[in-house]
Amino acid sequence: MKKFMKLACVSAVMLTALAGCGSSDKKADTDEKVLKIAGLNGGFGTGGWEAVAKKFEEMEGVKVELEFEKNISDVLRPRIQAGEDIPDIIYLAIGGEGGLTDTMVKEKQIQPIDDILDMTIPGTETKVSDNIIPGFTDALNLRPYDDGKLYLAPLNYSPCGLFYNAGLFKEKGWEVPTTWDEMFALGDKAKAEGISLFTYPTTGYFDAFFSALLNETAGPDAYEKMMHYDEKTWESAEAKQAFELVGKLADYIEPNTVAQANGTDFSKNQQAILDNKALFIPNGTWLPGEMEKAPRAEGFEWGMMALPKVSADGDAYSTTFTEQMYIPEGATNVDLAKKFMAYCYSDEAATLFYTKGKSAVMPTIHASDNIKDDDINKVFYSIYDNGAKANAVGFAALENQVEGVDLTTGEGILYGTVNSVMTKDKTVDQWYDEFITALKKVVEANK
Amino acid sequence: MNNRKQERRFVWLCLAPAILLFTIFMVFPTLNVFRMSLLKWGGLSANQEFVGFNNFLILFKDMNFIRSCQNTILIIVLVAIITLIFAVVFAAILTREKVKGENFFRIIFYIPNVLSVVVISSIFSAIYDPSNGLLNSIIGLFKPENWEGIKFLGDQSIVIYAIIGTMIWQAIGYYMVMYMASMSSIPEHLYESASLDGANKIQQFFKITLPLIWGNIRTTLTFYIISSINLSFLFVKVMTGGGPDGASEVFLSYLYRQAYDNATYGYGMAIGAIVFIFSFALSAIVNHITLRDDMEF
Repeated sequence: MKKFMKLACVSAVMLTALAGCGSSDKKADTDEKVLKIAGLNGGFGTGGWEAVAKKFEEMEGVKVELEFEKNISDVLRPRIQAGEDIPDIIYLAIGGEGGLTDTMVKEKQIQPIDDILDMTIPGTETKVSDNIIPGFTDALNLRPYDDGKLYLAPLNYSPCGLFYNAGLFKEKGWEVPTTWDEMFALGDKAKAEGISLFTYPTTGYFDAFFSALLNETAGPDAYEKMMHYDEKTWESAEAKQAFELVGKLADYIEPNTVAQANGTDFSKNQQAILDNKALFIPNGTWLPGEMEKAPRAEGFEWGMMALPKVSADGDAYSTTFTEQMYIPEGATNVDLAKKFMAYCYSDEAATLFYTKGKSAVMPTIHASDNIKDDDINKVFYSIYDNGAKANAVGFAALENQVEGVDLTTGEGILYGTVNSVMTKDKTVDQWYDEFITALKKVVEANK
Repeated sequence: MNNRKQERRFVWLCLAPAILLFTIFMVFPTLNVFRMSLLKWGGLSANQEFVGFNNFLILFKDMNFIRSCQNTILIIVLVAIITLIFAVVFAAILTREKVKGENFFRIIFYIPNVLSVVVISSIFSAIYDPSNGLLNSIIGLFKPENWEGIKFLGDQSIVIYAIIGTMIWQAIGYYMVMYMASMSSIPEHLYESASLDGANKIQQFFKITLPLIWGNIRTTLTFYIISSINLSFLFVKVMTGGGPDGASEVFLSYLYRQAYDNATYGYGMAIGAIVFIFSFALSAIVNHITLRDDMEF
């Protein structure tokens, strides 16, 4: 009997200890369909999503669950790894911190969504593809596998370019440079006044900057090839010219840039523009919102321009940065998810995203009508009307990721090495050679 | 006989929950890291390819990994030595000497441990600020007007020392308290008789204090190794992100970059396996070479 008591006690202790491990969240069965959307609580805010989800709930009689976090990458990764509780739609741009979307693309964990383009937008009679600005769904990063299918849906587009203090240019009587020669001449002029020509937040911003530059030096066809890891094109003199132009900027860089080009201090580099310490910074239209509360020089006024042209008769390019949403493998309500995505491209949703969110512009035909004349964004979004050409950003997905060779992320060989070029720890030739060597490894592994 | 058998069964039963939990949450994941280090895998799909020791072969030729090794070892060595010296000396002063405001100093030294790593990193980012940081402002007093300031986090040859400085500042208080605890248990009469024999304070420190806390120092050496590897990741992540251009990359930040940013999860786990073996081996070596006959009072 005593023995039995002992055993009983011990088992009771064990059971209590283990009880914590069990899971007990069984959902009540309901007929109501639940659409789960997870996404980044980032620069554009969540207000737009909440408003659009509410409208969609009313229209379809379903429930939409939103899960928006600043570290959504870390939140979702273990769940996707375990194959449990996978959301129906993920809103997280390629290249974001933690690289979840990039990994999803590389691991082919995203469902094709071509049929959305042919769907009718719920609540209207318009076809989705008719309401999206032409060309937007052709971008390489949305169709990463060369099978012609669309996997990621574009949203929140924003022209990227060089931001500057238009007030300072007026005050000094300087012209905004249109070619790189004029740019460097302006750099010398500004240097005499103790102002640096150039700064950048982190090397991650070079994806947009460098893509536009490659389009200028080598042209859009060559650019397309380069984004498909074409060795020959990368080895051309035109491609190298882009590296050299960046190298030349090292003589004009704001001296504190590299020390502050990290996730904690990057806004100090952005502050350099507000303080008139540097003239230009590559960035996107979210910059004025991000620096809204920062102190600034007297007479400060945001200005934005496309990259200067390589020659007077060349083209100026401005990278169009878009964010992405997609349906991951393992999503349960695929049809409903597609319907919701289709609704996101309605004029109604576009207005909600812009007004309730923080100025997020959907790539729909009438979305830019939401930008009123007195809105600072008017200046930015008219960049293409003023003659600049648009280019997309992003490399094709690789079949085989090469161990130890990080070619294309913000800290990778192509962009991360810019820090070394700016501090003159590496020459442009070293940077270029390192890149070509790494590129060859990548090409070799993917033959 | 029967009684002993019963007793043993009882002991095992009592241990079972702990062993079970330990196996599930410690042993199994560790073994899993080693298993995954043999795979070519992106981390999310079911698409896993067994590649044997290939990941390790690539690893030993990967110059970025070797640089992260060098940085980690430099951090372990410098942080351990400098923190040890400061912590022991401060502890000795605070326990043996009558210092005014003794408790005040104890609190001051311990404060960094109450702060989170992110807070400390932000404080030091501000201290290292190239234009108006504390350090550059002080050095600037002795420099000409147009002096540009040292780029503590932007200069590839300095950045790792900037991180080491932060880690030492953060660690001293913690270890000081540990040493103080063992120093205060040394009986007073040993010091009394030593001073009657004419030993001065410094002789007392080396002949009495140090030998009698040796066991404690040995334990903390293992702590230095483990915490340097772990904390360096957090500091690097917040302060530099491994930059500029990988100059401040350490073991775990490089692991993170490869496993997540570069989508080579298996390769990242190979780094994890190396870190695991490295920290165990280093701790064992340090433990072995610092072995002395125990001194007791």
